[in-house]
Amino acid sequence: MRLILLLWRREWMSMVRNPFLMILLSATFVLGIYSIYYGHSKIKEQYQTISAVENIEFQEFKNYQESFKKTSNTIEVKQTLDIASNPAFAWYRHGYHAILHPQALSHLSLGQRDVEPYYYKLTAMSLYYQLFENEIANPLKLYVGNFDLSFVLIYLFPLLIISLTYGLYAEEKENGILPLLRLQTKGLKKILLIRLAYYFIVIAGLGIILSIIGFLTSVTSNILANGLWFLTVISYCGFWFAMMFFLVSLKKNSSLTAITAAVLWLLFLIILPSFLNTYTNFLYPIDNTTLVDVTRRKSLENEDDLNEAKHIVFEYLHHREDLIGADSLINTNTMAKTYAAFTALNDINHKKEVSTYFKQIESRQRWLSFFRWLNPAVNSKGIFNEIARTDSKIFQSYYESIQNFHQDITNFYFKRLFLNKEILIEDYHNLPRFNLEIDNKSINRNIIVGLITVLITSFLFFGISLVLFTKITS
Amino acid sequence: MKRQIILITKKELKYIVRQNSLKVLFGIITILLAFALYAGFTVYQQKIAMIKSAKEEKRTEWLDQGDKHPHIAAHYGTYVFKPKTALSLFDFGLDTYTGTSVYLEAHYPHDFMFRPAQGYGNIIRFGELSAALVFQLLLPLLILFLTFQTFTKEKETGTLKLLFSQGVSLRSIYLGKLLAYVLIITLITAPFFTVLYVLGIVENTNSILNDTSTRIIFLFIIYTGYLGIFSNFSIWVSLKSSNARNALLTLLIFWITTGIIIPKTAANFGETIYPLISKKIHKENIQRDIEDGMQPSESKERRLVDLKDSYLQKYQVDSLHKLPLNFEGIRMQANENYSNKVNDFHNALLYKQFENQNSVGSIMSLIAPYIGVRNLSMAFAATDWYSFNHFEKRTEDYRRYLIKTMNEDMAYNSKYGEFYEYKANRNLWESISDFDYIAPSVNELFPHYWVEFASLLFWGLGGIMLIPSAKYKL
Repeated sequence: MRLILLLWRREWMSMVRNPFLMILLSATFVLGIYSIYYGHSKIKEQYQTISAVENIEFQEFKNYQESFKKTSNTIEVKQTLDIASNPAFAWYRHGYHAILHPQALSHLSLGQRDVEPYYYKLTAMSLYYQLFENEIANPLKLYVGNFDLSFVLIYLFPLLIISLTYGLYAEEKENGILPLLRLQTKGLKKILLIRLAYYFIVIAGLGIILSIIGFLTSVTSNILANGLWFLTVISYCGFWFAMMFFLVSLKKNSSLTAITAAVLWLLFLIILPSFLNTYTNFLYPIDNTTLVDVTRRKSLENEDDLNEAKHIVFEYLHHREDLIGADSLINTNTMAKTYAAFTALNDINHKKEVSTYFKQIESRQRWLSFFRWLNPAVNSKGIFNEIARTDSKIFQSYYESIQNFHQDITNFYFKRLFLNKEILIEDYHNLPRFNLEIDNKSINRNIIVGLITVLITSFLFFGISLVLFTKITS
Repeated sequence: MKRQIILITKKELKYIVRQNSLKVLFGIITILLAFALYAGFTVYQQKIAMIKSAKEEKRTEWLDQGDKHPHIAAHYGTYVFKPKTALSLFDFGLDTYTGTSVYLEAHYPHDFMFRPAQGYGNIIRFGELSAALVFQLLLPLLILFLTFQTFTKEKETGTLKLLFSQGVSLRSIYLGKLLAYVLIITLITAPFFTVLYVLGIVENTNSILNDTSTRIIFLFIIYTGYLGIFSNFSIWVSLKSSNARNALLTLLIFWITTGIIIPKTAANFGETIYPLISKKIHKENIQRDIEDGMQPSESKERRLVDLKDSYLQKYQVDSLHKLPLNFEGIRMQANENYSNKVNDFHNALLYKQFENQNSVGSIMSLIAPYIGVRNLSMAFAATDWYSFNHFEKRTEDYRRYLIKTMNEDMAYNSKYGEFYEYKANRNLWESISDFDYIAPSVNELFPHYWVEFASLLFWGLGGIMLIPSAKYKL
């Protein structure tokens, strides 16, 4: 214990006296603070937009409900009441928002929240008219990516680890201190491990401090997410320390160790993932050109042709066995029913194309997920996104939930439209609600498996390094 | 002096060739470059096949839509697919983050749909391996590894003093070394861009670029210049450093700061100071201005009254029925014109904000030449934001032309009050020429990228000033 304290004090003093290292640590801290600020401002923007759309929806439905109680006979009031109570208008006028709210730590790892839309306005019209719209975004900014805390931890922390540890053995040798150290009763390996542990505590500590600042700026708190986040920071730093221990154990000169570490950084963070992305591009090409037709606003070619209109309604009712007796009510609100049937048929008829498109995406992501475990950097970034619920799988669940929500909206209005029932004020208590169905257990399992993989890789490198350090003679 | 420079160059080349570790790195980079080019070419061919087939299908659908009212045809509309440029096989640019297709119909200028990144999963944010990425980030790193000890080693081994004692000036040594690295760079860039030139010429039949050759020549110049600048800077750092380790650390920090940290920080900072409006609010603003008018005297009702009056006056009649044309077609086109004006106004504000965001990065290219070369490379490959924006505007022009033709046909060939009674036929559909697109010429790009050019010029001239003068002594 005395030796540990002695060496740590020495490391502390040499670190404090080295302006280069202090600048590096301070710069990383400042960049970490900026990254938290940036993530927070992005999520704040999203909260503002969400609040605005929720308010619009709230006001809209409040006006509908109030129109039932109003006694005035002005055109405006009558129109609002029509939209509120008559399903012939309501089915395409009532707009609901399906929102993917940010989670406790979303601001620390923005993930796909800038690329994927996080809110949709849905009516009972064809889902596919509404599903493929994008939020405004600067493509160059999307290309460059987000400077959030997960970026700092994944990209910059390894560089900090490399800078602090690449010379742990080689520099002693190059400065002529190694023979002196060999004279000590304590082994070189022990001294090296104590020094590595010191830097591990400094860097992982910095990661933890930044994370705590990040947690404090969060709108909501989630203890499990915080705990998992800490574990990810520690295990990822652990991986890079194990990697550096491995390189130091090879007992090469400091320049070669630094070059090799830089190459490994480049390999894990740029070459391997970008290579995989490009390789996957031609292995799993996604063809969305076949899908565009689902968004086309087709309409009746002749609204005066009642036979054509009725034919469309009957075709739709053929798919809706639950709307018993609707066929005999066809003469009321025929055109509204026809258009409702028309857009619903668009979804039914294009289900296969849409499903093929999503299957292409699924196959691609399944293939990519296999390689995730081989690269601790990609793995840890995936874990951060999963903890923050900003990963692409969350968006897949979001799309699935939207489909269910749209189904609920359609059922709510079409039952009333096709069965000639008015929307009553009581019905406003049972309006469709968006439920985000996320398999939290599966996500947490993924996170745990991910963490275990990073830890196993780290221990593997650590174990090999322990053996190598003893065997390799400088 | 010339002889001395050539001798130094030969010596430096011999030294480089003897280094096995660098041979391995050189080999890896060559393989990555070959892979990136092959993958880029394969993906390019896959995409153009998809786009060609989809384009033909949509054209056939438009022509074979049958007899119908022109306004229904205007809503039926058509689709335009973003073409791949032949040079996107070299630099994928923003293609992954811009939409790939757009639906063109009456009243609504839709946004581009299907950003490929949406289906690519979390890992896409690590980037894609393109040949451009190899040139922008990996080759500078190779240069850095090659050059960091070019002077420090001479100093450590005492050969520098030996050279001085033989009357060789520092300037000659410096230029000799620089020439050696420029030769190595040219050995990589010249064959690569020759292959790209051949591919570009072969693929030009499908290309939307009229000046592929010029663009490739520019790419060759800027990349050779960029790598030359990097070599010069690295040699200078080696000259100024007391030992190899310091030189390596300085260069690695420079590479990481200018290649990774500054580009991301600049883009994120740009977004923070120039925030984007949410799509919901943007669309609402447009809709509000279309309804209420951009001036108090331009409300929808007012515009209609004015339009009616002007036509009644022009044709000296007292009823719309007496007009020798269908006023509905005129009204629709007038609304389109006004809506176009409103859209242009709001989109100009939005694009200005995009430009402001991107300008932060452009200015930072004065510190980080990587940003300059990245932006110019995308521009010459026509995968940058301005090229996308140009394409987006051409598709909107085409939509306006299509809708105007439909409205005018309705106005001049049908009667006021009739709708389903009038049907246009294939002759009208054929009168709409297919959408053809040619990207802006290189000349048109220059005004948008003068800061990036200035940055590279600044680094180039600055680099020349770093070369020690003949009188310079260590």
